[in-house]
Amino acid sequence: MNVKKEFILSGGKVADPFSGVEAKRDIGVKNGKIVDPKSLKKAEKIDVSGKIVAPGFIDLHVHLRQPGNSAAETIETGTKAAAAGGFTAVVAMPNTSPAADTAAAIEYLNYHAGRSGVVKVFPCGCMTKDIAGTEMAPIGSLKNAGVVALSDDGKGIQNHELMKHIVEYAKALNLPILDHCEDENLKGDGVMHEGVWSTLLGMKGMSPASEELMVARNIIFARMVDWKIHLQHLSSKESVEQVRAARKRGIPVTAEATPHHIALTDECIKKFDTNYKMNPPLRSEEDRKALIAGLADGTITVIATDHAPHTPTAKLVEFDYAPFGIIGLETAIPVCLKELYHSGVLSISDFVAKFTSGPAAVLGLDDRGLKPGNAANITIIDTERKVKIDANKFYSKSRNTPFNGMTFKGKAVATIVDGKFVFNEL
Amino acid sequence: MPAKKEVCDADGVKAAVEKVADGIISEFLDAFPEDFVVIGIHQQGVPLARRLIDFIKNKTGYVPELGMLDISMYRDDIGVRQDLPQISETLIPFDMNDKIVILVDDVLSSGRTIRAALDAVTDYGRPGLIRLAVLVNRGSHEFPIGADYTGMTLAVPAERKVVVEFEETEGHDRVCTIDWKKKRRSAKEDD
Amino acid sequence: MGKFTWTKKDLLSIYDLNAEEICCILDTAEEFKKVSQRNVKKVPALRGKTVVNFFVEPSTRTRMSFELAEQRLSADIINISASLSSLQKGETLLDTARNIEALQADLIVMRHSAAGAHVLLADKIKCGVLNAGDGAHSHPTQALLDTFTIREKKGKIKGLKVAIVGDILHSRVARSDAWALLKLGAEVRLAGPSTLVPREFEKMGVKVCHNLKEAIKGVDVVNLLRIQHERQKAGFFPSTGEYSKFFGLNEETCKYLKPDTMIMHPGPINRGIELDSSLADGSRSVILEQVTNGLAVRMAVLFLVAGCVKK
Repeated sequence: MNVKKEFILSGGKVADPFSGVEAKRDIGVKNGKIVDPKSLKKAEKIDVSGKIVAPGFIDLHVHLRQPGNSAAETIETGTKAAAAGGFTAVVAMPNTSPAADTAAAIEYLNYHAGRSGVVKVFPCGCMTKDIAGTEMAPIGSLKNAGVVALSDDGKGIQNHELMKHIVEYAKALNLPILDHCEDENLKGDGVMHEGVWSTLLGMKGMSPASEELMVARNIIFARMVDWKIHLQHLSSKESVEQVRAARKRGIPVTAEATPHHIALTDECIKKFDTNYKMNPPLRSEEDRKALIAGLADGTITVIATDHAPHTPTAKLVEFDYAPFGIIGLETAIPVCLKELYHSGVLSISDFVAKFTSGPAAVLGLDDRGLKPGNAANITIIDTERKVKIDANKFYSKSRNTPFNGMTFKGKAVATIVDGKFVFNEL
Repeated sequence: MPAKKEVCDADGVKAAVEKVADGIISEFLDAFPEDFVVIGIHQQGVPLARRLIDFIKNKTGYVPELGMLDISMYRDDIGVRQDLPQISETLIPFDMNDKIVILVDDVLSSGRTIRAALDAVTDYGRPGLIRLAVLVNRGSHEFPIGADYTGMTLAVPAERKVVVEFEETEGHDRVCTIDWKKKRRSAKEDD
Repeated sequence: MGKFTWTKKDLLSIYDLNAEEICCILDTAEEFKKVSQRNVKKVPALRGKTVVNFFVEPSTRTRMSFELAEQRLSADIINISASLSSLQKGETLLDTARNIEALQADLIVMRHSAAGAHVLLADKIKCGVLNAGDGAHSHPTQALLDTFTIREKKGKIKGLKVAIVGDILHSRVARSDAWALLKLGAEVRLAGPSTLVPREFEKMGVKVCHNLKEAIKGVDVVNLLRIQHERQKAGFFPSTGEYSKFFGLNEETCKYLKPDTMIMHPGPINRGIELDSSLADGSRSVILEQVTNGLAVRMAVLFLVAGCVKK
């Protein structure tokens, strides 16, 4: 990529939920920061007319797999995939191997992200040691090492008393909790949503009650302790309704939905393609519609991909035995534009907010907008450009996506991190 | 050459059927009468077998028993053909052992169908004697099998197939040739 | 004789077949049934073809039936069970199948405990794949032999009332039977304890009954499924005694049947639990004929599928 020290993005429509601006405006960039374009006399003008110029997108939920499963993804390939998908920052989930439950592990991540990461990598620390759900991790040390949040993602803490202690402890350190809501007994050895299709196909189902009960628990603790709990990858209608009621009461819970949960349902499983297997599972059409309604009325303020790479060998096995998870960084914007923007559910600013101001609020970041003085993290989207998904061309090392071969309208065409183009298809 | 060309009309078919039946009568019913059975090979061998039995009955009063044979399970070209037609009914209502069997088919071409039919018949028992009766012998033998009673001999180019139609099944009696795209010495359809 | 020809190289589930394809199999099976009734019970249809019986999930009866069918078609047979296979050493299913393909096998008959395992194979290898049962999902040849038996005895399927009674939730036989019968126009009732017959099944187009009398009153066919002791341990019902009292077909409950109601069971029977001996061995039972018909149906399926495998 050509490193341009100063340039002006001109002719684009700015959609900045941080400032509320949705209008045609030029954006100036100098020395890695946003500046008033009028102050740049000799800068190169880059034509982005017809495109949307947005604050840099943040993905709150990404598995970079390094250390432990570099065959599936590394910090380098994962961040390249993020850049190609229009993301300027990702929050790296801590269920690596070893888990990110010590300061040393976070320092490792920061070191490698600094050397080979192409976008900003925000580290997330574990809530419990080795994500075992029994002993609190050294949260204070993790905070000092630079984590922006805590999560046991992949699992949820089953011991409610321990969870309450962790929420209290995290509050004192100003660390938001990102929780994977799952009751292990109700999940059992299910491989898909427990409903009509699991019955028809004769497969073991995971009851939505598994998620709903933990959502209820988290809402209670968020209220009791008065601290931020962010509910990851909501999948059920009942969960959305609980969050809606809780937020009405002013309880500090936020929620996220993934692109695949708003695009697909459990009926897809009848093809027995493991690219439809993830946790939480794809649920019914009713649940899918409820997630979209939750995004529409502001109940759900974040879209996050839960990008979960797996090698083809790992996924090309019997459905029951395949690992959960699909990748999502490079398909998030096309899929979400289809379900939310082109369908008329959200305005462009509200759409952008799910990827920018929403995640920033969870993490307590206030410097991610397009205000002069902020670091120049910018995502440029062409909402009309046709894209046919070709997994073989992905920057990610993995190929486990259900959208391969499908055509969408709209994608990120340029990604700028700290003033530098890390992806450019303008 | 047009796609479908008639080479023999209803009168010709009738004459050919009689010629075959006369051959059978002459061998088994004239001097020293012997019992025999008639087995038609699906598809067109079956209506032809019925015609022969009718003719023999009208001329001599003897009514041979009728059997029907579908040789799909005995073909040598499963997996090589483009498609597999549905199996028709096989009916052998008599004990095959020691019987005199007149196998009947409409067209003798490569001889592969007859080879399969011989395998099938001998799986039902040990016949005393097997004779082959065909309406049309087109003479492009791939196997050393010949007919004992032939209604008519036709010289037909390799790229055309002989089709026999009967009043009972197609509405009229005639013999036609049609275009046949397949090469010689490869799996063919019914012959 | 219609122009219909069979075009599929695999038989994965009844759900994938339409009524015409099902009837094609049943008609073909009629002819193969005759082969088993004559002296020379063999035909050379699959001579020179190699069939691999790959029973990752063990089986005695279905395996025997398939093996005999293959022998009667003159095929060469290889038997692999999970314990003898390299799956034990960690080889993936797909690699095992590719090895089998490399040996120039024509057909793989597989039974597996994971639903959809056959779909994985059928997509990726050239051999024909026949499903001998996958998890609780599908058992197409059982459904075909059951429909064959019903059609043979009752003369038709359309308009018949058929009840399937037992542990429907865990039964691939129930699911496949229901699809086959629905596609051919029968009315299907699924019956059993409410824990084992969830209402979601109604989405198939069947009637769900949690009361035996309601289920079997006036039916033309009742198909009993084996109840497994493991389900009792897992808390689905209190005891086999209670199951038998409320859902077993015995002297008491058979009063709800018509005099000509046909009694079926895929076997093996838990005598005295889901079905009393007197009824299993009685005049309305066709259980042994199901076994005979199973052989014919499997010969038909092997024959049709082999015709579509291209090398």
